[in-house]
Amino acid sequence: MSLQGAVRRSFMALQDQRAAWRSVLGECDPLMESLGNLGQQMKALSRVRVSDTPLRAFPDLQERLQFQLLQAVDLLLQRLRDRMSRLQAIRDSVGGHVSAVLQLYQDSADSLDVAVATQRSSVAPSLADMLEWLQDAERFYRRQFLQRKTLLLTLRRDDRAQLEGAANAWRSLDSPDAEQQITDNLCRLAFFLEAQ
Amino acid sequence: PMSSSNTKFSAITGSARKIKDNAADWHNLMLKWEKLNDDGFQFATNIVNMRNFIFFLSSQRDQQPPDDFSPASASVQQQAAGAAELQDECSRLQAVVDRMVVIVAKMEHLMSVQQGIQDLEEFQFGPEGRTLPLCHSWKTKEFEESSRVLLAAFSQELKLKQVILQELAHTTDADLHMVYLSCWLHQPFIPAQTRLALEALLLETGHRSL
Repeated sequence: MSLQGAVRRSFMALQDQRAAWRSVLGECDPLMESLGNLGQQMKALSRVRVSDTPLRAFPDLQERLQFQLLQAVDLLLQRLRDRMSRLQAIRDSVGGHVSAVLQLYQDSADSLDVAVATQRSSVAPSLADMLEWLQDAERFYRRQFLQRKTLLLTLRRDDRAQLEGAANAWRSLDSPDAEQQITDNLCRLAFFLEAQ
Repeated sequence: PMSSSNTKFSAITGSARKIKDNAADWHNLMLKWEKLNDDGFQFATNIVNMRNFIFFLSSQRDQQPPDDFSPASASVQQQAAGAAELQDECSRLQAVVDRMVVIVAKMEHLMSVQQGIQDLEEFQFGPEGRTLPLCHSWKTKEFEESSRVLLAAFSQELKLKQVILQELAHTTDADLHMVYLSCWLHQPFIPAQTRLALEALLLETGHRSL
């Protein structure tokens, strides 16, 4: 397996994994919105004194509704954990490809001419560039996963304020510049990836 | 095709068939209820939004200087239109609740059918019931228990929905609005355990394969 071939394979895998990542993230958005919604409902429930309202006819209503809301939160958190597992698998896949390529590079480093490695052509970036881009991508997914997983771990079913702010906190983890960088790099590789 | 559970059924006339139909009827009623609940939630949400809009309009009107005619008359028209729309939406929600009343009435009927089967069993086999279980391992009494739990849950939920229907358009408190909508959507008197009771009921009558 030539180093070039391995790099090409890694970038093609990266394209697939990037699409998969976006798809899973897309599934998380409505779940986060729902969490926020439930947080709002819990807050409203805590601010209403049921005995002062027509709902006083149902003395155990407050506990029962609270229970239902907590159950709904639990269900959402479970679904989010499932998506986290899928994101983890994507992160691991990207990481696996990149470390394999880097290993191959290290093994052939002695026989590699620096001039050749840094040479750019009109149809392909330099090997050095490509290795760097792969590392950047791996780092991006690793950080993204860590940040999102951490956020999820801090969400407590009984912390209304946190649940309400969950969707915004989730969105704030978006890194459009870094994503754009990966897109741009893949664009630059268009010819390289098509070649066999 | 004949299976062991089928042969058990065919060996017993009448009652087993009734219970099986009973469980199927419960299942269908609960599906209908869920659909009504979703529709009702949409109408309830609309009522809250319209109520807020009308309240907003009337508070705007209160702020108008009394000799400023043109904006005031426009907002009067808007308020009237808003009130009419609100009334329509309340009628739709009323229609939903009316249909839920019918569902609970049907559930009561199923309960009385169940009671009839129970009474017949006691007459034929004494207070301990039959020694051969009617359906899988349950005795008829346990069917009655499940039905009773379900009926109580739906009756109570219906009462709650009737209160929500009455009060929703007359409230201006945002938190209370949200609590009413929460109650409608999440149905605090019909928790998951109740559904599990129905699942168990259906299993016993062989509607779902093990």
